[in-house]
Amino acid sequence: MRRITIPALVLMVAACTPKAPSSYDTTGSIPGIFPDYTDVTIPRNIAPLNFMIEDGADSYITVLKSESAEVTIKGDEVRIPKSKWNRLTDAPLITVQVYGRKDGRWSAYAPFSMTVSDEIDPYISYRIIPVAVESYEKLTLRQRDITSFKEKVFVSNTMIQDNAHGTCINCHHYQNGDTDNMMFHVRQYKGGTILVLDGKMHKVNMKTDSTISAGVYPSWHPTHDYIALSNNWTHQSVHAASHDKLEVIDENNDIILYSTRDNTVSVIENDSSELECYPGWSADGRTLYYVSAHYEAPFGPDRENQIFLDRKQLHFNLYSKSFNPETRVWGKKQLIYDAVARDSSMTWPRTCPDGRWMVCCVSTHGIFPLDQIASDFVIYDLKDNSYRYADEINSPFAESYHCWSSNGKWLMFSTRREDGLHTRLYFSHIDENGHFSKPFALPQRDPDFNREYLYAFNIPEFMKKPIRIPARQFASFISSTDPIPSKYESKKGE
Amino acid sequence: MSKTYANSNKPQRSYGQLFRFVPYIIAALLWVVLALHEHYFLAKVENLSVFLFDWQYFREAISIPGGFLGVAGSFFTQFLHLPWLGSLIWAVMLLMVYQLTVKAFNIPGQLRALAILPAALLVIGNMHLGYGIFIMREQDHFFAPTLGYMASLIPVFASNRSNNYGIKALILTVWTIAGFLLLGTFALAGTLTAALMVLSDSGASRKNRITTLLCGVALILLVPLVSYNFFTSYRLADSWNLGLPTISEDLCTRAIRTPIWLALLFMPVMALASPWLRERGKKTYIQALIYFISIAAVWGFWFKDDNFHTELAMSEAVDRFDWQKVVDIFLDAQESGVKSDAKAYQARTRKLEGVKDQNTVKEIVEQYQDRFFEPTRTMVLYRDLALLKMNRALDESFTMKDGGRPQKTLTHIPMTFQSGKQFYLQYGLVNMSYRWCLEDVIEHSWSYGTLKYMAMHCIIMQESEFAHKYLNKLEKTLFYRKWAKEQRPLSTDSLLMSAAQPYQSILPYMCFEDRMTNDMVKTETFLMRHFTEPEPPNPTPEYDRAALLWAMRIQNIPLFWQRLYLYINSNKVVELPRSVQEAALLYSKLEKGGFELPYSKEVENSYDSFNRFVQANPIRDMNESSYPYCKKFGKTFYYFYYFIRNLKTY
Repeated sequence: MRRITIPALVLMVAACTPKAPSSYDTTGSIPGIFPDYTDVTIPRNIAPLNFMIEDGADSYITVLKSESAEVTIKGDEVRIPKSKWNRLTDAPLITVQVYGRKDGRWSAYAPFSMTVSDEIDPYISYRIIPVAVESYEKLTLRQRDITSFKEKVFVSNTMIQDNAHGTCINCHHYQNGDTDNMMFHVRQYKGGTILVLDGKMHKVNMKTDSTISAGVYPSWHPTHDYIALSNNWTHQSVHAASHDKLEVIDENNDIILYSTRDNTVSVIENDSSELECYPGWSADGRTLYYVSAHYEAPFGPDRENQIFLDRKQLHFNLYSKSFNPETRVWGKKQLIYDAVARDSSMTWPRTCPDGRWMVCCVSTHGIFPLDQIASDFVIYDLKDNSYRYADEINSPFAESYHCWSSNGKWLMFSTRREDGLHTRLYFSHIDENGHFSKPFALPQRDPDFNREYLYAFNIPEFMKKPIRIPARQFASFISSTDPIPSKYESKKGE
Repeated sequence: MSKTYANSNKPQRSYGQLFRFVPYIIAALLWVVLALHEHYFLAKVENLSVFLFDWQYFREAISIPGGFLGVAGSFFTQFLHLPWLGSLIWAVMLLMVYQLTVKAFNIPGQLRALAILPAALLVIGNMHLGYGIFIMREQDHFFAPTLGYMASLIPVFASNRSNNYGIKALILTVWTIAGFLLLGTFALAGTLTAALMVLSDSGASRKNRITTLLCGVALILLVPLVSYNFFTSYRLADSWNLGLPTISEDLCTRAIRTPIWLALLFMPVMALASPWLRERGKKTYIQALIYFISIAAVWGFWFKDDNFHTELAMSEAVDRFDWQKVVDIFLDAQESGVKSDAKAYQARTRKLEGVKDQNTVKEIVEQYQDRFFEPTRTMVLYRDLALLKMNRALDESFTMKDGGRPQKTLTHIPMTFQSGKQFYLQYGLVNMSYRWCLEDVIEHSWSYGTLKYMAMHCIIMQESEFAHKYLNKLEKTLFYRKWAKEQRPLSTDSLLMSAAQPYQSILPYMCFEDRMTNDMVKTETFLMRHFTEPEPPNPTPEYDRAALLWAMRIQNIPLFWQRLYLYINSNKVVELPRSVQEAALLYSKLEKGGFELPYSKEVENSYDSFNRFVQANPIRDMNESSYPYCKKFGKTFYYFYYFIRNLKTY
């Protein structure tokens, strides 16, 4: 009995395994697939790049082939088993051949390829946020193992807020992608900045009598115990009739330096006629990049309305400022990019860990690229401070927050390219000449996920290892701990 | 255990037998009342909820203990799309609640009426909500408590089937773990009830009774505590409230949960009391009394505000762009107020006879004010929107009743939450409409209505990828699939879109330039500001009509003349609408000069007649005089100008 059954089972399995058709016509075009993974460069440790084929055929067979493995998948939904995918990515090139059958005849599409390249940090984190203006009922900070599809919530505001008091969570950040030194802000109910230092949680209040707000957008010093943060008075307003829905504007901005060692805050820039924001350290930590717009309007109740009216005139220049981390002495500010002269606005300077490249967002005006369709990336060669628009990764929609992998080979960024509103995460490889490869979307188990998912991905950050503190521990700590007030310290230098 | 009392279940009198049919009659009556009188309410409940045949939706919904109950509740809520069907399903479920309660607690025939109490509480739980439906956090509240109650009786039945106390404890454990994950708090109520059933079982040993009770209590405390470690979607403190309806305000949450808590409390109380009850209760009048109290309680708590029902009916017609229906509903409400107004006026006049003191007059007038028909601002705005869409607003708006009757609510529900997205979309403020859809989704939850409005917003903006996102979701529903399929081609073809409704009638309002806006959750004020701001560069006739209407509404005389001029030009007016003539004549008299316009003889006569009436009937108190003036001049702009003042928008 057993002798008959086993071969029968083998035969049945073999019969179910799809095979590429033996006879077919050829078409000159590559198939329409979603997400678009055609001719992309991918890290060798990325999760399977599952995709949907959408080309109007009745059925499909896809053959993924590399020097080390071959996988054949039937159907319009190409979900590649992880073990087979890992074997495929052992080789430097994967070719994908799709066959489509229509009216009983098979056709072979033009093959496309996936170039396998450098490894990427295995974890990322992001905030999942509903696209909205004021409400923040359901926010989560999540970590994702990008070598697989495992995702985990590490902070959720629904574990903190009660029915009558809302809590916002934002701006998670790490020192060089190390999750033992991380931070995020909790606003409103049970508010404070949560710092994890050497794996231990702390809650602080960075608002002092001498600063305009608590810390907002952070940049952790690469080698020392400092975090540069912006201070912001933020307002938002809705466009009455535009494809841009929302405008976020800061009525006032400064930049501060927070010392994690002694819980002190000192001012880096607080010119009352300048709106300084988005600090970003150079790779060696000896230069701080930031943006600033000159704006003069009297402080008072009308300033908010006035600044919305003047929003098109808000052009943020890019500046740098030298810093001695040992002495905490600052140098003078230097203009790097004159946005006023170019009728544009620069935001989010982020330097590559090897110190060679810096990527920023450039838009027509204002400080919040996420909500501006016109927002694109520019890349700076820090050798000679030359820059160019990174057109190979830009799209007709808003490009915004970006982060470098720890080996400096990959840029992860948020973009609204898929539908114009829901921010999704994309990755691109950079070569030694500063050219980016065609970006590809964060792989998902369900290839249609990005189209179906009604939330946005926000503030993507690379992590070298996962966050060990469970969500309930964060929630319990946030709920039960009062923030320790930070002390103010005068600035040194210039 | 149940065998012991089997005989006591048999009704012993013919009167008692009659009572067996009462629950069926009540359920049938409830169905008729719901289907005929509350169909707009039921349809709105459905419109505010969503059930998708979609894995992502399901996964998100079950990411919290009790989420499955929500999914089940939403599944049944979709049938309220056909109110007769949804209400029939609910009425049948309530009958099942009654029957299961009788069976679970083995209630003797003479006291079966007791089993109607949880059903009555569940009816109160839904029908006292009123405006609360607009601020519910989850929109599964209509069916979920009923389903939760029925499911929570499962452990009672299951443990009754065995006489082995070890098996009973095992059943309780399995039930509490699985039930809590699926049903949340309802499962815990079931656990407690089943444990108390054992406690009150005279056949059980003291040790077994105490052990089972302790086991039940331990499970109720421990299972939520342990579960908390596996979820990231709620606070530890909320662990024993999961699956219950929530409103974004604590006070209201307590109010809406009270009937459900009472229904759940009924179970453990019955578990303890049922052996005692089986010995008593032979009197028929007790049954009659219980039925009477239940029906009276349901009627007493039923939300009966006429304006609320009118708003719901108008809202439904607005969603269908049936503008004539919107106006007809308003006129029906106005007409039904005629008789009550006359009665109220007579009663008030009698009370005022001989009263000279001004303060007393004011007091009496205020006492009676509620008895007169007065529309809410939402009703007025719906009506004006419909009249504008039919190009009849300037002729008819001021001929109908106006006012600002406050909502009869425990908490204030802003018009923005209730109908903001409708007004904004229809007046071309599409981003603002979209904004409120988004806020709605976050504050409350996804709904068919929100998905539809979001899709319409994207279609009118020709953001096709974006529109498809929402249309895809709607295609995964039972009743909106067809609509979504019809809309899909419009998202990529602007010509097709601009010829289709409602887009055709919205586009003319989108003639203003982009600017930054914020409504501060005050829709009417925002619309007023929008239409009274400086004229856009290329105004359409539709825009100018709306702008003139708003200028008349805010009674700003210089703005009226300015808007009138623009309206005459863009609309190529040959003869001014009557209300406009009345406003122009009144303003020109007030300004002692003004513009020379060709007033009709009737308008001039009515103005003279109004003046004569004023002289003959001096006004002591505006509210007191409003009825006689309204009767004679309620259809004129003069009445609106003098009597419709100090309205409070919300």
